[in-house]
Amino acid sequence: MNGNSMLEIRHYSKSYGGGKKAADDVSLTVECGDICGFIGHNGAGKSTTIRAVVGVLDFTEGEIFIGGHSVKDEPMECKKITAYIPDNPDLYENLTGIQYLNFIADVFELGAAEREERIRKYGDLFEITRDLGDLISSYSHGMKQKVAIISALIHEPKLLVLDEPFVGLDPKASFTLKEIMHEMCDRGTAVFFSTHVLDVAEKLCNKVAIIKHGRIIFSGTMEELTEGQSLEEAFLEADHEEIQHSS
Amino acid sequence: MKKYSILLKTMLLSSSLGNIRRHTYDRKKKRKIIGSRIGLTLLCAMLIAYSILICVGFGKIGMTGAVPVMCALVISSLAFVFTFLKSNGYLFNFKEYDMLMALPFKTRTVAACKFLYMYIKSLPWYLSISAAMLAGYAYYARPPFYTYIIWIILSLILPVIPMLAASFIGFLIAKISSGFKKTNLIQTIFTFVIIVLSFSLRYIIEALIGDDKIEAVLSGISMMTGRASGIYFPAGWFAAAVTRTDIPKMLALTGLSFALFAAVFYIVGNSYRQINSAIRSHAASKNYRMRRQKKSSVVNAIAFKEFKRLTGSTVYMTNAAVGELLAALLGIITLVLGFDRIIAIITQGAPIDPAILQPAIPFVVYFFVGMVATTACSPSLEGKNYWILQSLPIEKKTIRQGKMLFNMYLTVPFMLFAVLCMCLSFKVPLLNTVLYLILGVALCAFSTAWGCVCGVWHMRTDWENEVEVIKQGAAVVIYMLPNMLAAMGLVVLMVWLGTKMDHTLLTVIAIGIAGLLAGVCYKIAIRLR
Repeated sequence: MNGNSMLEIRHYSKSYGGGKKAADDVSLTVECGDICGFIGHNGAGKSTTIRAVVGVLDFTEGEIFIGGHSVKDEPMECKKITAYIPDNPDLYENLTGIQYLNFIADVFELGAAEREERIRKYGDLFEITRDLGDLISSYSHGMKQKVAIISALIHEPKLLVLDEPFVGLDPKASFTLKEIMHEMCDRGTAVFFSTHVLDVAEKLCNKVAIIKHGRIIFSGTMEELTEGQSLEEAFLEADHEEIQHSS
Repeated sequence: MKKYSILLKTMLLSSSLGNIRRHTYDRKKKRKIIGSRIGLTLLCAMLIAYSILICVGFGKIGMTGAVPVMCALVISSLAFVFTFLKSNGYLFNFKEYDMLMALPFKTRTVAACKFLYMYIKSLPWYLSISAAMLAGYAYYARPPFYTYIIWIILSLILPVIPMLAASFIGFLIAKISSGFKKTNLIQTIFTFVIIVLSFSLRYIIEALIGDDKIEAVLSGISMMTGRASGIYFPAGWFAAAVTRTDIPKMLALTGLSFALFAAVFYIVGNSYRQINSAIRSHAASKNYRMRRQKKSSVVNAIAFKEFKRLTGSTVYMTNAAVGELLAALLGIITLVLGFDRIIAIITQGAPIDPAILQPAIPFVVYFFVGMVATTACSPSLEGKNYWILQSLPIEKKTIRQGKMLFNMYLTVPFMLFAVLCMCLSFKVPLLNTVLYLILGVALCAFSTAWGCVCGVWHMRTDWENEVEVIKQGAAVVIYMLPNMLAAMGLVVLMVWLGTKMDHTLLTVIAIGIAGLLAGVCYKIAIRLR
């Protein structure tokens, strides 16, 4: 294992009932300071892979390492340095935003001053501080997404895993999140996120992985993939080549 | 330990009505919370009154000594059945699974906290029964003061073993089902099998012991509690601890509860993620070919949607359809075992003329079929999907009609089948059989419409877990408990009236009343905002 790699997926496969593989021999590496975009069609296996990475989905084939720890054998060590934001965050609806953030801060054993400073910082950045006293059930989808993002950021993870993070966010919040991702990357945090918005991935990521029918068809740097084209063109080309190859 | 307390505290806070009331600005929501609290308090009062009445009955016939065992058995049975019905939604397949599992909690911690949450939430009900029975027991037995202390302490521990047993069986079912492609279906079938076995346990034990010549009702009760405590040791330990201050048995009950807790969650924790992954994952065949589609009316389309909602959730299915299943079984058993045998089992051999029981047939079946109306929980079960119906060009009236139609589709066939089986077994004359069938349908209509009134009245879409709506929702509780108690009362009333007047006339009057009540409830359900 590379000493600088924060996330390493080795030959990970996942089948559901019926023997069809949702993820098939997936291997990729995300190093410290990388922002890696994970792209593919609907149902390609992005969420299945992401959920296995963050320890939500059980798997038997392959290995996943976070910061050198095995997700299978040392899940607690992995989770302590990882933050995950799902595509449709199911938060505790009957807690207020601040109660939920305090719950997460308690879980990660953050001190009172520390949590207050970070919640205020990110709350102000996402312009949600004033709403934190209201019940989450009264929030819009975007506001819930903001609370989920803040909860992921307050414990300063070494690996940030996001599943379609920009869905539902207003333009300002999307911009803020991108800025934060850059800042974290500069501090050595690895970011691994799935998206369908190729323009965002192109501007944000230095690495990209493309998944199709559960198989990785490309994994490397953005330059290696695009070679002077736009990401959209490169993605469609890679997709087309894969169709020809499989037929 | 710290992680346990953080998670448990948050789980309790997130489902606390007080927390919602404190932080919401929605006046309607606040009023609903107050209404729910009043309703639940009234139901608790009913439960307490019912428990005291049992003690008074025992006291009057000089059997106060059987009260502690009876208390332990009642609490244990309720704890087992209710936990078993909830375990699928609480322990497994819950909404916030992804969020919790991505946090640094051990799987064992999450599973154990889910159990402790169930325990704390249901404890007030068990303590109400226990305190009421203690009061009744104390009135007749005048025990020393330390009996009160032991009784109260052990009441906190009493539900633990049956709840653990139910959770463990739920775990085994989930574990076995997770190996199949149709996880949900297999889980539902296994759950139904266990429910039926639980309800038949008493009769199975009696059959095994082989004593069907019970001389009198009194000795029957005494023998039953004695045998039951002999089979279910913790009930006997509880009784020994409170009546004879038997410290070793008190320690045995406490120690066993803690040891089982540790053992169960050690085992469950090891397979927790594997089971949840299997339950929450759905295989995709990706082989659908467009074929000819069918058109149906709006009301039928909503009814079909309700059918898919029911069959798509093991918790919903096992809770809502258990009454129908038991009614069908009752019908089959009545046909197979025969009329005399059934009467002997129900009356414990007491000398009763079987003919007087006939007018109660539809109400006996209704006790089961009307146990849970899908209309009581389906408005709340829309949850976050409520926007779909709200944004469609459908009137609220039509939505409710669709939901009511589905409940009729679900209940009427079972009602007709069970009533017909019992009428055939009881050799009821043809005219009365037809009238009983009509009365059965009228009762289904009442249950459907009354359920809809409760469901719309206490509609709550912001739930965390569907079990909150299906098992603990104010709508379901307010519908179910009075309905079951009224059904039991009506069985007795019909038997009594049957001795005073002609059965045909009595049934016609009952049809009229049930029809009228159904009509009134339907009108209310349609008009409610």
